[in-house]
Amino acid sequence: MSTRHILLGLLASGPSHGYDLKRRHDERFPQARPLAYGQVYTTLQRLVRDGLAEVDGTASDGGPERTAYRATDEGARELERWAVEVAPPAPFVTNEIFAKVVVSILTGGDAGAYLLAQRAAHMGRMRELTALKTAPGADLTTVLSADYALNHLDADLRWMTTTAARLTTLTTEVRTA
Amino acid sequence: MTHGETATATHGTAAPPLLTARGLAKAHGRTEALRGASLELRAGEILAVTGASGSGKSTLLHCLAGIVRPDAGSVTYAGLRLEELPEKRLSELRRTDFGVVFQFGQLIPELTAVDNVALPLLLAGTARTEARARAGEWLERFGVRGQEELRPGEMSGGQAQRAALARALVTGPKAVFADEPTGALDSLATEEVMTALAHTARESGTAVLLVTHDAQVAAYADREVRLRDGAVSPLEVTA
Amino acid sequence: MSTLTSDLRLARQLVHGSDRKEWWRIALTAAGAAAATGFALAAVTLASVPAGYSVSHFHGLLTGSGTRGGVISGLLLLLVPVLAFLGQCARIGAVHRDRRLAGLRLAGAAPGQVRRIAALETGLACLLGSAVATVFSVLFVLRLWSGPTAVTWLGFVLVAVGVPALGAVAGAVALRRVVASPLGRVRRVAQRTGRGPGLLFLSGLAVLVAVAPLALNERHVAGNRLDWSTPLTVFSLVIALGAGVVWLAGATARFTGGLLAVRARTAAPLLAAERLRDDPWAPARTHAAVLLVTVAGTAFLCVRHAMLTDLRATDPEYRAADLAYYTTGLDLTGAAVLVALAIALSGLAVGTAESLTTRRRTLAAQVAAGVPRTVLNRALLLETALPLAPALLLAGAGGLAIGIWYSSLTGDGSLPWTALLVAPAVYASCLLAAATALPLLGRSVRPGELRYV
Repeated sequence: MSTRHILLGLLASGPSHGYDLKRRHDERFPQARPLAYGQVYTTLQRLVRDGLAEVDGTASDGGPERTAYRATDEGARELERWAVEVAPPAPFVTNEIFAKVVVSILTGGDAGAYLLAQRAAHMGRMRELTALKTAPGADLTTVLSADYALNHLDADLRWMTTTAARLTTLTTEVRTA
Repeated sequence: MTHGETATATHGTAAPPLLTARGLAKAHGRTEALRGASLELRAGEILAVTGASGSGKSTLLHCLAGIVRPDAGSVTYAGLRLEELPEKRLSELRRTDFGVVFQFGQLIPELTAVDNVALPLLLAGTARTEARARAGEWLERFGVRGQEELRPGEMSGGQAQRAALARALVTGPKAVFADEPTGALDSLATEEVMTALAHTARESGTAVLLVTHDAQVAAYADREVRLRDGAVSPLEVTA
Repeated sequence: MSTLTSDLRLARQLVHGSDRKEWWRIALTAAGAAAATGFALAAVTLASVPAGYSVSHFHGLLTGSGTRGGVISGLLLLLVPVLAFLGQCARIGAVHRDRRLAGLRLAGAAPGQVRRIAALETGLACLLGSAVATVFSVLFVLRLWSGPTAVTWLGFVLVAVGVPALGAVAGAVALRRVVASPLGRVRRVAQRTGRGPGLLFLSGLAVLVAVAPLALNERHVAGNRLDWSTPLTVFSLVIALGAGVVWLAGATARFTGGLLAVRARTAAPLLAAERLRDDPWAPARTHAAVLLVTVAGTAFLCVRHAMLTDLRATDPEYRAADLAYYTTGLDLTGAAVLVALAIALSGLAVGTAESLTTRRRTLAAQVAAGVPRTVLNRALLLETALPLAPALLLAGAGGLAIGIWYSSLTGDGSLPWTALLVAPAVYASCLLAAATALPLLGRSVRPGELRYV
């Protein structure tokens, strides 16, 4: 996930300062990991360094002093390029659950019990997300981001179910290899 | 937000049991569909029953709803032992206290949507005009608007299932038994039907026993019970 | 030939792997074909009796060529309810069979192949029935009649081969929609309209109106000119009457359905009325046979009464034959009407049973939802009772009209009170026939039906 491009995207609607950008990011992507203010600040500085954004001005409005940023023409072009670029479909399979199952088999642990516990945790999270998206007055952004997560968790669950059913074969394979 | 928080927040305090099943066994010919399944359906909760196909989910639902008699074990509802009741009394109970929703087939193809929903009220002795009016309100509550006079075959799958939900809930039952209610629907229609079911059940305090193989559907429930080989796996009751 | 054997093998496999319902269809179709063959063979035998040959059975009733012609027409008319019965048998498991054949079509079978398989399925069942009936008829004829002619045997061969052939053609024609568009047929059962029987009724009526005056005129013209208009009148009368009652049955079903669907206050009439309104033509065929029998039965009782009154009034000296000659003829006709009623009622029972098995999944879901079986039973009976009440009333009135017309021609115009009882008696027996399917309802609604699509 490219924080640079998301911040550039938020700047596209007009100049904005760091705190404002963080707030708008967390609003727009409700189920994403919230942006840390420090991360916003360093990313903005890198954008300025690369010539994709520039300082628009400084204002205090009676409070602490804030620096507003705006996107440059080059930044706008870069954003355009990124937005249409296809995201690479799963370039590396990093599967923590699978790694745990294999390690558990190697060390003689109970992989089946682990999968059950993981399944329960996944279901719990899915219930939570479902409650969130079906709460009265939930906006479409919330519903869609919850749906995205639900579909991924569902895929994990299916994978866990088939893996649990084939644990015996997997154990033999891992132990003899 | 940590993961454990809201999972218990919705129905943290255990409500009294509405329906209790103990040691249910049922065989279809030589295949044993249920071998000692026990569970509790609490008042007002949505309980998902999941498991692989052939694990006995539908048979469990049939036993709990008093549609079939178990070979062994007991089902207790409101102090009544369902397996001991005569068929006439069971039928009455299913009509008044329970509602059922299947994958499809519970709507009568020759009846319009509103007449289908009004049918349980007619059977309870309500006058036709009043029954139709109340059925119309329920259809509207489930978002089936302007389709009251259509027959099930003329409606989309999602609309028909919502009409089926309206029919199951129109008598104000204590429990609704839903067997793969979204089994024939696409994901958007599934979401509409399940949202309607969850909302209405919570609003009216109706308990729902939801049999499904779809984890995303099971996620609408407050609790999940997993069946394996005709019994509830003790490790897999999650709340 | 190799394609035929492979089709035959495929047809056999399909029937072999299918459920009990398929065997019911084959058995009932064979029984219907046997009845059709039997009646047709009897007619052929009588027709081949040389003029002037004296037949000692039935008080010499079969000796005169005029009365023999009457008996032959009676036997041929008995084919009408038999055909209605066969039509009903073809509907048993029709949805499943259509799906199966559509599946074959989707799997790459050519239209001709599917048509051949369907024709073989029906044709072989008919062949079975016709073979059994033919064997018994041959034995019967050889016992009773020492001198069957070559014409008799030729007729036998034609009927024995013709009945299965017609069955095969009917089987192929019934599937034309499946063959034309397999997908459409897999998904839904097409709705019928009343246009077919309506048109047939009108064209039969038109022919009747055109020919009847000629036929009535012809009677006064002496000579040995071939009398073509009388058979044509009878034929168009049968067509018009048959199509008319089909249309009447369908129309009353739709009318009562529409009337009651709006006014029903309880569940059972509502269910019955909506079913009638949805597909009024489904029960029309069997109901039509029942209505025809009612018209014939009512008219017969009037005619019988008028004839007997007339005969008793005549001095025995002036009678052409003894009284037994006439009563035997009348009794035979009465027996024919009763046989026709029995066949029509069997068709009705088969039709009711079929409608139950087709709907068993929905019915099982209703029982699961707590709809009492008594309500479903009542709805099933009402489905027969509601449309038949006005239709039988009209049929009885029609039969009575014919009777009044006849007795005004010959007798003193008096009518037997028994004629009024025909319609109610038929009504009661129809309800009983429909009720024979009720135990099947109990068996159809097992929760096991909820499990599968």
